[in-house]
Amino acid sequence: MTDIVTVTFAADTQNVALARTVAAAMAARADLPLDQLEDVRLAVDEAATEVIASAAEGATVTCAFDHDDSVLYVTVEAPTTATEPPSPTSFGWTVLSALVDSASADIVDGVMSIRMKVSSNLVDV
Amino acid sequence: MTAAADETGGWSVDQRRHEHLLLDEFHRLAETDPRRLEVRDELIQLNLPLVHHLARRYRDSGESMEDLVQVGTVGLIKAIDGFDVSRGLELSTYATPTILGEIKRHFRDRTWAVRVPRRLQELQSQVTATTEELTAELHRSPTVRELAERLDVSQADVLDALEARQAYSTDSIEADRDDDSSPGIVATLGDEDGAFEAIDERETLRPLIEALPERERRILMLRFFEDKSQSEIAEEVGISQMHVSRLLARTLATLRAGMTAD
Repeated sequence: MTDIVTVTFAADTQNVALARTVAAAMAARADLPLDQLEDVRLAVDEAATEVIASAAEGATVTCAFDHDDSVLYVTVEAPTTATEPPSPTSFGWTVLSALVDSASADIVDGVMSIRMKVSSNLVDV
Repeated sequence: MTAAADETGGWSVDQRRHEHLLLDEFHRLAETDPRRLEVRDELIQLNLPLVHHLARRYRDSGESMEDLVQVGTVGLIKAIDGFDVSRGLELSTYATPTILGEIKRHFRDRTWAVRVPRRLQELQSQVTATTEELTAELHRSPTVRELAERLDVSQADVLDALEARQAYSTDSIEADRDDDSSPGIVATLGDEDGAFEAIDERETLRPLIEALPERERRILMLRFFEDKSQSEIAEEVGISQMHVSRLLARTLATLRAGMTAD
């Protein structure tokens, strides 16, 4: 099943709440338990805050969500002024990577992307 | 047209004169005089239409008219008590900002009620109760789908209720401070140094983390350095999973704010 949802907003921290709300709704569609749903909310908050922190002037943040029956994929990206992705040993990244199964960040053509994957920890529901 | 006529649907000259006489009398009477309360009651009755009129501006707020009129009346009473007849103002002119002030204060004190409609408040407590129920049954935290099925509501409703729980920020950390039976701050502090060894900003972070309330610090450590789930932490700390989630979100926001403050 393809069920892609994309949210786009100005790179302003006041819009992060929007991303959190959509993240929770998408986590529910992937049938994640509440524990993980709340973790996803926090992770998206971290990721969005991270890309906004180094976003280019007037940049737009895109949060894309995709899922199958038990896995949620999230990509948060925005044009950036940074030349390096967030350091794996930064506090923000430590937090973010603890909240999801896997997370990666890169900068390609001036766009910073943070990708996250969360698999439901329910076995055989 | 005066403010009084506007707000109360047009008072006659006689009515206004009557009010002036009452106000005059009210402020001349000794505070202990039982007649004083009678006069005040009459002044309140005379101006209740003004309170209703102002309260109606907030009728879409989710708060009942009855409650709004009640807090508005508190504002009216304050205005009557503080009214200075010699200044030549109409009481309604003087009372309007005081009444609105009380209504707004009521919303500030109870942001919960403004932002979250009553139906959602009820659903929110059902979701909380059912989450605990299902967690006990399933030995893990339930999904939104499971909650929706048990409560016989839509998944969207459950999500709204969850969102409402997040928005309910008046839940103070002091509220359950007294149940703090954690194994002690020293043990947690020991872990902390090791846990943060690898982090770039540890020099900035350490004082921020040390400044956190003990419970918040403990939850942070359990989640991020011992990799416990929110449910496990909830059980260990003795609060709800939702509360863990809120505390974590707030703690991370605090740390982030502290780190970018420089």
